[in-house]
Amino acid sequence: MKPVAPKPAAARRPALGGAFLSGASGRLLPASVPLRYFGAAALFHLAAWLVVLLTAPDWPAWRGGLGWPLAALHLVTLGTLAGSAIGVSLQLLPVATKQVVRWPKLLSAIWWLYVPAVALLAAAMGMARPDWLAAAAAAVIAVLLVFAVMLGLNLRAGGSMAGVVLHGLGAVVALVLVLASAAALVALWIGRPFLDHGAARQLHLAAGVFGFMGLLAFGLSFVLLPMFTLGRVPGDRQQLQAGAAALCAVALAVAAALIPAGALPLRAAALAAGALALGLHLKLMRGILDTAMRKDLGPSGRLMQAGWAGLALALPAGAIALLAGQGTVWGTLFGLIAVAGWLLSFLFGVLQRILPFLASMHAGQKLKRGPTPSALTMERPLLWHAVAHALAVLLLVAGLLLSSPVLVRLAGLAGTLGALAFVVFFAELLRRLARAMTEPAQ
Amino acid sequence: MMNKPNQTPPAPATLDGDGCWQLDLRGLAPPQPMVTILRHLEEHAADGRALVVRLERDPVMLYPELAERGWEARPLDGEAGEVRLRLQRA
Repeated sequence: MKPVAPKPAAARRPALGGAFLSGASGRLLPASVPLRYFGAAALFHLAAWLVVLLTAPDWPAWRGGLGWPLAALHLVTLGTLAGSAIGVSLQLLPVATKQVVRWPKLLSAIWWLYVPAVALLAAAMGMARPDWLAAAAAAVIAVLLVFAVMLGLNLRAGGSMAGVVLHGLGAVVALVLVLASAAALVALWIGRPFLDHGAARQLHLAAGVFGFMGLLAFGLSFVLLPMFTLGRVPGDRQQLQAGAAALCAVALAVAAALIPAGALPLRAAALAAGALALGLHLKLMRGILDTAMRKDLGPSGRLMQAGWAGLALALPAGAIALLAGQGTVWGTLFGLIAVAGWLLSFLFGVLQRILPFLASMHAGQKLKRGPTPSALTMERPLLWHAVAHALAVLLLVAGLLLSSPVLVRLAGLAGTLGALAFVVFFAELLRRLARAMTEPAQ
Repeated sequence: MMNKPNQTPPAPATLDGDGCWQLDLRGLAPPQPMVTILRHLEEHAADGRALVVRLERDPVMLYPELAERGWEARPLDGEAGEVRLRLQRA
C-alpha cells in the first residue's frame, strides 16, 4: 500500500492555533529556491570533474596559482559546497529556529547572480584572466556576504541549539575572512596588493575549508545525523566542547597565516587542535550511531563516513606538508584531501539523503497525498555515484603522489561518471516531483 | 557511552484513557522532538496505538518520515502556542 503523506496542519486546519500554524509554511523557502541551488551544485560538481579529465597533465606539477586546477577547485568549493550550504542552511535553520524565511525573493534573485559569477570565475582562473576574475569575484563576494548576514540572523534565534549556533557563528566569521582573503588574492592578481600573497593564500585555505565549510559541516551534523539515524542528540556541553576545539584550531590556523614569524608553531598547534576537535566530534558522532535505530544509511552513510576518514587523513597530510616545507606536493594533497576527501564526500552523503526528504516535505505542503522520499529516490545512481566518487578521489591522490597524468585522467573519468550519476538522480527526483505535483486527484 | 540529551529529557510516553500514547515534547530543541517521535513509532510499531504529541511548532520535517512509514498526522485542539497532533496509521 502506498503510504499516505499527511498534509501539514497549517494548511489543513487554518482556524486552529492560527498564528503559529500559519507560520509553519512561512518557515519554508519556496521549493524552487533550494532546488535551484542544489541543481547548480550538481552541475558544478560535474563541471569540476570534467575539468580534471580534460586538463590532467596540468595537475601533477600544480602548486597553486591561476590555472585549470584552481578553476576545478573553485567549481567545487563555490559551486558545489557553498551553493549546497546556502540551500541546506537557509532551508533548515528557519524551520529549526521557528523563524519566517527572510527575503525569499532576494535569495531567488541572487542565484541568478551567483551561478554565472561562479562559472565566470572558474573560466577566468582557468584561462588566467585577472580582469574577468575581478568582476566575477566581486559578484560572488557580494552574494556570499548576503548569505553570511542571513545565516547570522537565522542563528541569532537558535539559542536552544547551542552547539549548532556556536559552530554556525564561527562559520559566519570564517566566511567573512574567506571573502576578505579572496579580495586580497584578486587584488594581487590585478596588481593592487594589500596583503602578502602567502598570508592571503593561507588565510583563504584555513578560513574557507576548515572555518566556513568545516564548522558548518560539524555543526549541522548535530541536527542531521540524529535525523537520519534516529540516534540520540549529543548533549549541549559535549557539542560546545567539540565546537570550542574546532574554533580554536581554525583560529590558530588563521593566526598562522597572519603572523609569519610564528607560522610554523602556530600551524603545528592548529593541526594538534584540529586532531583534538576531530576526535571530540567523532566521539559524538559515534554516540549518535551507537544509539541509532536506523543503523544502515546505505551509500549516503558510507559517504559521510568516508568524509570523516578524509579529514582524519588530511591532518597528517598537513603535518607532512609542514615538515616538507613549501612547494611540495604535500601542500596540494593537504588541500585536496580536505576538500574532496572530507567536505565533498560528507556533503554528498548528506545530499543523497536529504534531497528526497526536502522534496517530499515541499510536496506535502501542496498535496493531500504527496510522494514519499523513497518514491522520489532512484537508488542505483546513488550507489554508482558513491563508488565512483571514492575511486576518483583515491586516483587523484595517487596521481598527484606519483606525478602521473594518466592516473589524474582516470580520476577525472571516474569523477565525471560519478557526477553524471548524481545528476541523473537529481533530474529523476525533479521529474518524479513534478509528476506528483501535476497528477490529478491529489 | 550514551550522551546526555541536550535538554531535560522528554517525559516517557504515557497511555491516556482512550488508549493513545501521549508525548509532551515542548521545550525540546530540534531535532529532538522529531527523533523522539520516530523512535517511539519504531519501538511501538506493533501495538497499533495512536500517538498524541504536544509540540511548540508545526513539525514540517516530520511529515515525510511519517508518510514513509504509512502514518499520518491529524491536528487536535491545543493550548495557545501549542501544536497538538494525533499520529496514527494512514
